[in-house]
Amino acid sequence: MTWISKTITALGGLLLAHACYSAQEHSSLQSFRATAATLASSTPAAASLPIDIAIETVVATFIIVLGLVTGTRPLRPIQWRVWAGKLEREGVEGFMGNDGEMNRDYVGNPFRSLETRPGFIDIRKQRKEFANWVKSGGRSEAK
Amino acid sequence: MAPSLLHPPSQLSPGEALQLSQQAPTVLQNSPSTISSSPLAALLPSSETPDLWIKYENLLLSCLRTGDERAAHQCLERLVARFGNDNERVMALKGLVQEADAQNNGELEKILKEYDQILGDNNTNIPITKRRIALLRSMDRLPEAASSLVQLLGFSPTDAEAWSELADIYLVQGMYQQAIYAMEEVLVLAPNAWNVHARLGEMQYMAATAPGVASGTYEKSMAEAIKRFSRSIELCDDYLRGYYGLKLVTKKLLKDAGKPAKESEGEFSLPDSKTVERLNELATAKLSEIIRRSTAQERGWRGYDKLEVAAARELLVEEASAAAAIER
Repeated sequence: MTWISKTITALGGLLLAHACYSAQEHSSLQSFRATAATLASSTPAAASLPIDIAIETVVATFIIVLGLVTGTRPLRPIQWRVWAGKLEREGVEGFMGNDGEMNRDYVGNPFRSLETRPGFIDIRKQRKEFANWVKSGGRSEAK
Repeated sequence: MAPSLLHPPSQLSPGEALQLSQQAPTVLQNSPSTISSSPLAALLPSSETPDLWIKYENLLLSCLRTGDERAAHQCLERLVARFGNDNERVMALKGLVQEADAQNNGELEKILKEYDQILGDNNTNIPITKRRIALLRSMDRLPEAASSLVQLLGFSPTDAEAWSELADIYLVQGMYQQAIYAMEEVLVLAPNAWNVHARLGEMQYMAATAPGVASGTYEKSMAEAIKRFSRSIELCDDYLRGYYGLKLVTKKLLKDAGKPAKESEGEFSLPDSKTVERLNELATAKLSEIIRRSTAQERGWRGYDKLEVAAARELLVEEASAAAAIER
């Protein structure tokens, strides 16, 4: 969906630029007229912007905001069970940034260490298991 | 994709551990071998980050597991050079390397004596205490390990990891009630841990189906198991393990429904059979959804363990074939 949001933002930017340009042109025209008018007579010219330029500016701002909002990534879940379910269902994949890198604060299930207990690892058993795994041909389940 | 070096590697499969330890030469080469610990160095922009030391520690564990002693010793040397010999965590890692290097029981005894000596100087050295308990357990001296753990919990009762280890030690000895008690302590410390709830449910189920249980205990344990699994599902949407346990327990209860059940009172009474049936249906529906979607590799459903999914499928197939046999 990123191209949609980018197109909308670009369109809004274009409109905004156009509004700025119109405003600038309008004011220079006004000042030119004002000098011409003061030379001819002493009627003061209206200094306010025409309504269409003002509307264009506001609309352009809203379009840019819309584009930026549609372009953001989905928000992180704030309900515990939804967040936990996402962790279980999607694994690392759900917590990738846009660049395909793992988010730095991703830790997986924070309570997993209560079951793996890194402080109590039995290194001799792990070595034995690994040796057996290698002997059995090392059926590669590694991704 | 290789697993990250920033997370403790103890739950990885052998293949993944091998992948990690194969990264060792590049990691060791790309990071400076010594980093000054003087306060002046902290003022200069340096390459030292907290991540580096976590990486070394995890690399050390993976390399020990895969038998790459050279890299493991290198990691240890760097950690010692940075933190000194009397850092408690480094002491535990040194002990770990020694344990891995030990060839026979005599050497293990010697390491155990060293641990005792360290603890004699400072008996609140928790990493070393834990290593000592793990070594005792590894040498099949379970009662001793359990009593040391109880001692450790005596002066550090908020250590959830230690309670969990105690529960596991009791469980392998078949002391279900003690194991359940210890696991409940873990839940007191981490009430939102959905995997601990599921684990407790599994323990209750084991306690209920162990040979020679009184029928009162059986019902109480089954009711507790249902509660625990339901809580784990409540805490975590689409939790495969929780639904699997719920399915297993309700299936067993429905199978036993023919037998006259004794009226039990209090909060541990079993829910009526209609509720159990509905729970069973819910678990079946959820399990088949999880299996279907994760087998199809749908986006957002790829995080499940393949073996767990296969086990769930087996459970459902088994029940389906049993139902078909009854119909015939």
